[in-house]
Amino acid sequence: MKLTMKKRENLTGWAFLTPAVLLIIIMNFVPLFQALIMSFETGRTGKMTFTGLSNYTRILEDSRAADALKVTLEYVVITVPIIIGLALILAVLLNDPKLKLKGIYRTCIFVPAAVSMVASAVIFRSLFAADGFVNSVLINLGILDTGYNFLGHPTSARIILMVVRVWKMVGYQMIFFLAGLQSIDAGIYEAAKIDGATSLQQFFHITIPMLKPTMLFALVMSVNAAIQVYDESVNLTNGGPGNATMPIAHYIYNMAFGGVPNFGYACALSMIILVVVGILTMLQMRVGDKRE
Amino acid sequence: MADIILLDDSMVAQEVVSYPDVFMDLTDSGIDFSEFSAGKVACSTVDGKNYGVPFDSGAAIAAYRTDILAEAGYTVDDFTDITWSEWIEKAKVVKQKTGKAMLNGQGAYNQLTVMLTSCGGSYFDEDGKIQMADNKKIKKISELYLEMLEAGVFQEEVGWDTYIGNMNNGNVAGAMNGCWIMSSIQAAEDQSGLWAITNVPKVDGVSGATNYSSQGGSTWTVTTACKNPELAIDFLNATFAGSTELYDNILPSSAIATWIPAGDSEVYKQPVEFFGGQEVYSMIVDFTAKVPSCRIGAYEASARTAWVTALTNVAYSGGDLDEELAAAEQTVAFEMEQ
Repeated sequence: MKLTMKKRENLTGWAFLTPAVLLIIIMNFVPLFQALIMSFETGRTGKMTFTGLSNYTRILEDSRAADALKVTLEYVVITVPIIIGLALILAVLLNDPKLKLKGIYRTCIFVPAAVSMVASAVIFRSLFAADGFVNSVLINLGILDTGYNFLGHPTSARIILMVVRVWKMVGYQMIFFLAGLQSIDAGIYEAAKIDGATSLQQFFHITIPMLKPTMLFALVMSVNAAIQVYDESVNLTNGGPGNATMPIAHYIYNMAFGGVPNFGYACALSMIILVVVGILTMLQMRVGDKRE
Repeated sequence: MADIILLDDSMVAQEVVSYPDVFMDLTDSGIDFSEFSAGKVACSTVDGKNYGVPFDSGAAIAAYRTDILAEAGYTVDDFTDITWSEWIEKAKVVKQKTGKAMLNGQGAYNQLTVMLTSCGGSYFDEDGKIQMADNKKIKKISELYLEMLEAGVFQEEVGWDTYIGNMNNGNVAGAMNGCWIMSSIQAAEDQSGLWAITNVPKVDGVSGATNYSSQGGSTWTVTTACKNPELAIDFLNATFAGSTELYDNILPSSAIATWIPAGDSEVYKQPVEFFGGQEVYSMIVDFTAKVPSCRIGAYEASARTAWVTALTNVAYSGGDLDEELAAAEQTVAFEMEQ
């Protein structure tokens, strides 16, 4: 049989795609489907039986899951706008063609994103320890008398977790904004200048609209990452003090591996997160993506 | 899967219940469990069956910096055979005179276990039902612990690194944990001769209170995946359940035997320079024999976490102790009804 040129190209394309598609199916979709099935089962490991929606009805009675969701949502609502805002400002500043040593600034801001979470946790834990750097500074400035155990108190611990997140993610998102900025045709700005637009007007009427696709991408990524936040609380506070910094992903982990395993319940909670992430992403796409 | 697994004492019941048919019943294996300390054997007994060969002791010690105590006018004898109320009063004096907390810990976890085990307490009643709200021992220990925090004589640390760090740097006057903590204490070689060991305080006004406790320590289990169980059991019988020589060799790493005959060995009677020439090993063998046996449930870890959360809420968020303990009980009950 002789293939036409078009068919051959199609086949070649599929041949390149197949390994990646297979890997994604095996590594992502199969476990996802198994988790869905397991969310309808209860019982001891290896002896689980189908019990319908029992895990899902249990979630409604679980006050700790509700607390964990609250911690997570607070995290999303506070950190995401700060990350996006700061990343955008930094990207615009660092995109200035007249700025010198740009490469160094960009690298410095991006480095936190490349540091492993465990290493960041060690750094921040020593910074905010009772006899750490931050306390020494505050004591020397006369603001505090004795060291304050920042990670030992609920509110300050929550704030520090957010600070770590912002510190790590701003540089990462900034890279996307920089790429977006560089794809805007310089001619548009020149034309605006000739028409007498101020730089503020240029920012709001050219930069922001042209960056919309990038912002949408950054927003969706940040929100999804924040909902699934896990590393920070595990490495910095282990969810404590009490459960004050326990986000939902950490709670799910504890339900599955923290004590007597309850895999069915953990899977049911995971499915809820999946649905929440799905709905939020859809909403953002609806509102933000006006492409035809 | 491995043929033999080493488990933390408080985890044996949890693992045996969570993973049924994975661990081998060793009750009639020929291992003589009467040669081990009774409290230790109880940790690996589930529904009357033995699932483990006890290994290193978790007997609790109170280790103090004698130089820091001396600054406050105390010796280690002042902290021997006392109650927690007496301890707190003396600790306040140490804090006032030296500015140092007596103890620290990674959160409350290990400290609470030391206190609960010392009076033979449990989170569960005879039927295995969770019982934390209406539990005199837990209530009393909670009050004592909160008083320690309030007075600043116990310092909660966020991580294990800061726990050991502050202990080694002399930022606290002592350490209280399972005796395996000795190897961490001795890491600060410059403090040789400055430390001394004694028993732990006992909980005031509750039944079964003693000056002896256990925290950590571990147990060998055999899995059903083992293709040659006779060999595995014979191995354990000839080593951890039958060789004083083995225990002599591993003693320097602070793995102290719970196999009673090992304690009679000469090696255990050596004075240890680091602890001011005390015969710490034979002391700990003696402590081990006096540890009350406790009812450890499969949901031990969940109950402990819930208790710590309750106390944290009282200490830092102004919660009411009775309400928080009731909430903790509810949390564990919720997990248990899965």
